[in-house]
Amino acid sequence: MKNRLLKLIEEAQITKNSTYKMKEKEKDGKEVEKVVKRSIAEFRVGDTVDVHQRILEGQKERIQVYSGVVVGRRGEGMAEAFTVRRIVQGEGVERVFPIHSPKLAKVEVKRTGRVRRAKLYYLRDRVGKATRLAERKVKGEVKGKKKAAVAPPES
Amino acid sequence: MALGLLGLKVGMTQVYDDKGVLAPVTVLQIGPCPILQVRNQEKDGYDAVQLGFEDKPRRAATRPERGHVSGELESKRRRARTAAGITLPAKANVEPQRYIREFRLEAPTDLTVGKQLTLLEIFEKVTDVDVISKSKGRGFTGPMKRHNFGGLRGSHGVKKGNRQHGSIASNASNRGSGRPKKGIRMAGQYGNTRVTARNLTVVRIDAENHLLLVKGAVPGPNGGLVMVRPTSKKG
Repeated sequence: MKNRLLKLIEEAQITKNSTYKMKEKEKDGKEVEKVVKRSIAEFRVGDTVDVHQRILEGQKERIQVYSGVVVGRRGEGMAEAFTVRRIVQGEGVERVFPIHSPKLAKVEVKRTGRVRRAKLYYLRDRVGKATRLAERKVKGEVKGKKKAAVAPPES
Repeated sequence: MALGLLGLKVGMTQVYDDKGVLAPVTVLQIGPCPILQVRNQEKDGYDAVQLGFEDKPRRAATRPERGHVSGELESKRRRARTAAGITLPAKANVEPQRYIREFRLEAPTDLTVGKQLTLLEIFEKVTDVDVISKSKGRGFTGPMKRHNFGGLRGSHGVKKGNRQHGSIASNASNRGSGRPKKGIRMAGQYGNTRVTARNLTVVRIDAENHLLLVKGAVPGPNGGLVMVRPTSKKG
């Protein structure tokens, strides 16, 4: 079990990092500083995600998106991180992101993936079609369509 | 030596700074520490402040421990001394303390007995600290672990000695005295000694919870006593 005081520090940090400030240009050319909420979606290993990163270039800050398949999650508490794999110009690239880093602006789940292991290192040995992952079935969902979407038969 | 405070090592974690850079930190729970005694040149021959840390139940304390912190504890000696017209030394009037340590000072201090010293009072403007504590005991340890020696070869005729040190003396060493030099490094007790980690950067002070975050590692186990003082390394 983690020490109470250590937990206190880590939790305070997580709440502190849950928002960040960003300068945005409005229509009249004025720069306004806005407080933006960080949104890290709940994702699982095998999901295809978009990772939005804040990148500082000189004085300006912009957001860069890196998308790929989550091939692993490791660590706990402040040290928790996840690995995202994608193919860039025919070359496999894996990047590790600390989950609680203030530089992460957003993580979006684009597509779920059904997998049977915690670390998808076997994807490294596969190319093309073989790297596809089946979509995860969610309860109350009928093959690709949501239950609610199925129209009740007219009487 | 500058005045510091007593506390406990809580453990290690990581924190992000404002730029988003991660730093490894040790969390220390420091103070508040009551001043139990003030030593002075005239009476004790040196200047120092004696601090206590963490209350302990009265039933777990001995009578001398209770008498050291309380002016109200009755005793035959106290009664006799007051009857003889001697003014008794000032007491802090706190619960018995689990840890009691002294900080030597260069000059006489105007602090008085009974004052509760907190983290902010001592460390508010301090950027670097020294942390003193007892290192983890490792028992009787071989030269490879204790002094980072290389050991001997794994084969080529080395018999059962691949973790030993090599030669400790020769005919030519120590001017031919026939014995090894004094202080040659060998196997022996490692750890469980007083160690000072000097010049650690203060990352954050949390006055509300009495927490001090310093960068890097600190000697001793989690839950062990630490003495923290402003660093003596920077002149």
